[in-house]
Amino acid sequence: MSEGGNVIELQSVALRYGTGPEILRDVNLTLRRGDLRFLTGASGAGKSSLLRLLFLALKPSRGNALLFGRNVNNLAVSELPLLRRRLGVVFQDFRLLDHLSIFENVALPLRAMGQKPAAYSHDVLDLLDWVGLKGRATDRPDTLSGGEKQRAAIARAVVTKPDLILADEPTGNVDPAMGKRLLRLILELNRQGTTVLLATHDEQLIQQAHGKALHLESGSLKAA
Amino acid sequence: MLDPALEKPSPVFPHGAAPLRSLTITMAVMCYLACLAIGALVLINQAASAWTQGISREVTVQIRQRSSADMEQELAQALTILKAAPGVVAAEALDKSAGAKLLEPWLGKVPLDELPVPRLIRVTIDETSPPDYKALEKQLAKQVPDASLDTHRRWQAELSRMAHALSLLAVFVLGLISLASIMLVIFAARAVLESNRSIVEVLALMGAQNKFISRQNDRQFLATGLIAGFAGLIAGLITFAGLFYLGGSSTDAMAEAGRSLVFAPAAVELRVGAALVLVPIAATLIALWTSRITLSRMLRNMP
Repeated sequence: MSEGGNVIELQSVALRYGTGPEILRDVNLTLRRGDLRFLTGASGAGKSSLLRLLFLALKPSRGNALLFGRNVNNLAVSELPLLRRRLGVVFQDFRLLDHLSIFENVALPLRAMGQKPAAYSHDVLDLLDWVGLKGRATDRPDTLSGGEKQRAAIARAVVTKPDLILADEPTGNVDPAMGKRLLRLILELNRQGTTVLLATHDEQLIQQAHGKALHLESGSLKAA
Repeated sequence: MLDPALEKPSPVFPHGAAPLRSLTITMAVMCYLACLAIGALVLINQAASAWTQGISREVTVQIRQRSSADMEQELAQALTILKAAPGVVAAEALDKSAGAKLLEPWLGKVPLDELPVPRLIRVTIDETSPPDYKALEKQLAKQVPDASLDTHRRWQAELSRMAHALSLLAVFVLGLISLASIMLVIFAARAVLESNRSIVEVLALMGAQNKFISRQNDRQFLATGLIAGFAGLIAGLITFAGLFYLGGSSTDAMAEAGRSLVFAPAAVELRVGAALVLVPIAATLIALWTSRITLSRMLRNMP
């Protein structure tokens, strides 16, 4: 992909699980480098499915999905890791590994990329400081509150300074002050050129960010 | 200064997970059983060899008592023939009480003077060049008609057959244990991988390459296999040592064979040692191989 190219390009994309009904129908979406979008919609509208498709956990059942200019339908298995490293994902259920400390959870994407602790430790600790978890660096996720887990999940998603951040309800479990702080972190990355797509129900968050919203309704995407 | 707890990364796959503990225990038990089967095989072979060696070193000449014959003269005649025969190292006539002692288990302690108890000659032979038994038998029959030669061949053959059957049985048991171990380890390794599925998914979604995930997985299974394998081996060796000490100073063939497992002659020790060390190595390789296959299948089926 050229630096100015589309980061996400969905052309008439549909998605169904197995032989079930279509969860997403004829979704068209183009996001360029540095774009910020909020994905809204009622529960069950398909927000999480759309994000799963974008972080390459699913393949479209119809249509073309291009990520950084690459059609995900034609990707070889060996190409997936490098493409996924350009993504920072905040999962709705956080997906922190309970047997690792918060520090190790946040550092995991860097470790998976082959980096050594000496190279990333200070950056990870700085990031934990920013999200207010430095004091809990050596604690396990099961000792954290929902909000703290969410902050750890956000820190893990941004630790690699990804080209695209996909977040499912990233501020749903934190208090308004911490929500603002986390949003500032994401907006700062966005200002530096990271494309951001956040699924949320939080209207206040959208207003604070002065972002554009996309509305999913019964599997179809509309500009809000 | 960085907290030491942050400097050394923990294993990506948890080492203390319940399915992994089950795998470790299963593998340790199966390795222990395999070691016991190997030990039993060696014991049987050693004991059988000790028994047959003892029997093949000696033959017996029996002289039946006839009222008309002079037993002492016949004994002397037989001894002369035997001592002169090539391949005979020594010939010694057992006294009357030795024959009575042999009959004691059947008849009890009764005076045997009235009974025509045969006299026995113990003949020690040179194992490397044994005498021509047929010629010796013929010569004895000609000069001492009441003498008969017992070469213990029949017993030796029966013992060999029994030892061979027991060896086959031990090999069969070892085969069954190996098969059961392989199946159990495969099953347990799959269970461990299944319990790690969510971790594999998270790693894959973060952009970890398959070789990174495989390396983490290998570490986990290598450590488990070696710990369990050597735990089984050590338990097996402790059992053998226990057998040795229980055998005490007994000189019978079984105790001798038991001792040989602990303090075996160099050649046997090397073979037994190699077979025993092979147990944890084989168990580790099976666990590693199964986990790799299961993991690669899991990764292939991921989007």
